[in-house]
Amino acid sequence: MVATRVGLWVGIQLGLAGLLVLAGAAAGPALDEAAGWWLVYGGLVELGTLGVVVWLLGREGGRYRGLLGPPTTAWQVAVGAAGVLGVSVPAVVFSAELTSAGYGDAAAPMFAIVDLPPWASVVSVVVVPLVAELAEPVAYLGLVLPRLERRLGRSWLAATIVVALWAAEHACYPLLTSGGGGLAWGFAAYRVASVLPFLAAWTAAYYALGRRLVPIMAARWVFNAGTALALALGLIE
Amino acid sequence: MRDRILYRLTWLALALSLGHHLDHLVRGNAVGWPVTDQVNAFTASLVVYPIIITGLGLYRAGRVGPGFWALVSGGGAAFVAVVHFGPAAVEPPELILDPYQPPVLGWLAFGWLVIFVTVLALTSIYETRLWAQLRQAGHPAADAEAGR
Repeated sequence: MVATRVGLWVGIQLGLAGLLVLAGAAAGPALDEAAGWWLVYGGLVELGTLGVVVWLLGREGGRYRGLLGPPTTAWQVAVGAAGVLGVSVPAVVFSAELTSAGYGDAAAPMFAIVDLPPWASVVSVVVVPLVAELAEPVAYLGLVLPRLERRLGRSWLAATIVVALWAAEHACYPLLTSGGGGLAWGFAAYRVASVLPFLAAWTAAYYALGRRLVPIMAARWVFNAGTALALALGLIE
Repeated sequence: MRDRILYRLTWLALALSLGHHLDHLVRGNAVGWPVTDQVNAFTASLVVYPIIITGLGLYRAGRVGPGFWALVSGGGAAFVAVVHFGPAAVEPPELILDPYQPPVLGWLAFGWLVIFVTVLALTSIYETRLWAQLRQAGHPAADAEAGR
């Protein structure tokens, strides 16, 4: 699953950059230009992930609903999502301080490079965050984590591995080039470090909520769609 | 029957709180009574220790349940977050990051604070779920907290 997602993130961006090179762009700028669309092509990554989840469920005879945990009422989703948003506050502050230490007052590079036409902005706000919630947390917390727990027999170890892999995946979206021409490894490291507290908090919240995924999906949707909307409206510069 | 996870989370939050107060003392830039003669947020935050000790005693005796702890943890998370995070913070992150040399020590202290607030908020979520479950099951501890 992790390999699939990393392969999709890298493959789609390289494919897009390849098309730009064929259209006459230089290789380095083409990779960065393709990176500017990560909030849109991320939808393809999530659709691919969803496809793998459905394929695995079909092979094992499970149901998608079964990955979401115990039945959750509307008020449980609302209260739980509010709690998950509250739990995310320290991660927001940590990430903001890290961005400030690395990039000063400028926006983080993964936001600074986004420059989309209006139709693509609409897709990045309305479609992608929704598909992402149906795929990303379900894949990591609903599918990978329980299987790893069964295999290792220790929940804390399985959770630590899942958080580490989930964070590491973020190094790939988007891939950026450095001033020297190679990949911007410093940015990749920043990306992993800045997202780590969020993923650790959400994974812990998954346990605290009795393995109910829907409140986490709802909170993450508010968070990610809100960020995409702020970018589309030019509030993050 | 007392909940073992609740106990563990409470002790973890207590250890994180002690560590954060130690960080205040090491930095020396946001301390109050009894270290100085000034009464401030540092002084107010010390009230958490008698609350936790009393709460543990009452919890063991079955006088309070997870609802009490949800309020303590949630209130603690809100207090520490308001004091340290956000636009109205009286002790913003710079007050923790800047005094330390080398800077990695400042990031360790700041990371500790981030984990502390996250654990408090997560603990509150867990205790709220536990409280709701007990109420649903008609447990006497939850009924006592609800004033029935």
